[in-house]
Amino acid sequence: MPQEDLKKYFDILELGPSATLRDVYNAYVRLKNLFSGDSIVLEALAEEFPEKRRKKVLRQVEDAYAKLQAALKNEPPKTSSMMTDEPPAEKPPSEKAVEFTSFSGPVLREIRERLGIRLDDLSKLLKLRVELLKNIEAEKFDALPEATYLKGQVKSLAGCLFLNPDRVAADYLKRFREKKQK
Amino acid sequence: MPEEKTTPIEAQEGEIWAFGGGKGGTGKTFITSCLGTCLAKRGRRVVLVDMDIGGANLHSFIGISRPQKSLTDFFESGVSLSDLAVRTEVENMALITGDIYSITSDTIKFTQKMKLFRQLVKLNAQNILVDLGAGSHLNTLDTFLIADRMIVVLVPEIIAIENMYHFVKNALFRKVKKSLKEYGFREIAQHIWDGRQSYGIKNLKEFMDYLKESFPYLGTILDEELAGFKITLILNMVRAEQDILLGASIKSVLMKYLGVPVRFSGFIAYDDAVWKSVRERKPFMLNYLSSSCGKAIEVLADNLMEGKEVEITGGF
Repeated sequence: MPQEDLKKYFDILELGPSATLRDVYNAYVRLKNLFSGDSIVLEALAEEFPEKRRKKVLRQVEDAYAKLQAALKNEPPKTSSMMTDEPPAEKPPSEKAVEFTSFSGPVLREIRERLGIRLDDLSKLLKLRVELLKNIEAEKFDALPEATYLKGQVKSLAGCLFLNPDRVAADYLKRFREKKQK
Repeated sequence: MPEEKTTPIEAQEGEIWAFGGGKGGTGKTFITSCLGTCLAKRGRRVVLVDMDIGGANLHSFIGISRPQKSLTDFFESGVSLSDLAVRTEVENMALITGDIYSITSDTIKFTQKMKLFRQLVKLNAQNILVDLGAGSHLNTLDTFLIADRMIVVLVPEIIAIENMYHFVKNALFRKVKKSLKEYGFREIAQHIWDGRQSYGIKNLKEFMDYLKESFPYLGTILDEELAGFKITLILNMVRAEQDILLGASIKSVLMKYLGVPVRFSGFIAYDDAVWKSVRERKPFMLNYLSSSCGKAIEVLADNLMEGKEVEITGGF
């Protein structure tokens, strides 16, 4: 993505160029919630700003997040270092990355925790129950919904963790089906 | 306490911080007095200017009786602004009171206003803190616009948010209008604004975008003129943690809807110590330094001086 576009999207999310991956996510969640509607600020200005305007802002926020997410995923490692905000790991990141060969529940959980994302926030954002997210992470397969529903849920979860949704869903559903058959 | 004049003015310009925000009772006067005390205690030379015309009471927040001379003498008898400054209980801090008996805000002439602004920046002080009082009167807006720090004080209530928004919008409108006029674009801008429906313009931000697109030269002017239009937000009487997030929300809304940069510089929790202090008519920051509010004011002063912001963590 050209630097100018990148700046535009960072601006929409009210972030500076030194923003981390976590900042991008947090800003997105905060703005999405704010412009989704029931904030006292928007209530105070309801006469001033019609629904249309609010929704337009919401779309801009969604778009900026989607674009940044895509850009960050395709970013070559050396430039993406400015975007990432990994807690100091004992092992070099590359070794750590090798461990994530399969996107199991515990792996998803670890990624989420390393990003500093709370289940509560995810739950509000995805409109999924905390319990369900916990079950996905704990791989309580019996407590999970049917594969068709689960696939969509895992995909949206993966998106929030800056992962490739299809890849994660394929991995996760494979484990799900195998365990179910046993 | 006898009134004493401060040292005469020198040719040095102080930094003006103006406190406005539309609604009354949000704590503008209290915060002005506290920040002034705080800065003075840190060794800065401070002058507080009470511009709450008609309702001036800043003196009672810093433990002195109503000064005998006020802005009335400036407007009616031509007394210079620096001669109105009286000492306060706080070392390094003087006060100019705005109490006006016979003049209403409407009768202040343009030339008088300009003279006031010229003398304001020349006061012998490093920080000039101006308490604007409530409302969006043109004189209030103009004073707000000349400030180096345009500060709005807000409480977490719907009406306060609404009033603050209109105050900021009016100030922005005033600034745009003045800039356009200055560069001879008033007629054409008025023409476009009047016919805004046919141009598909629904608000001030779209209007400015349209002007910038149609007249690239004007775009540069507007950008330059508005570069200094930055709002500093202070949230007062916070009672719950989620109120703090309100600061971030207001910042986002002002940026998205008006295109105005905002800095959320601090919040102050509701504190009974304030109420006690106001009744005692003593400078709060001399007697209640260790209260939660006193500590919050110190942080706020740090943030304002260093241009820092409240950090909002956790996404919500």
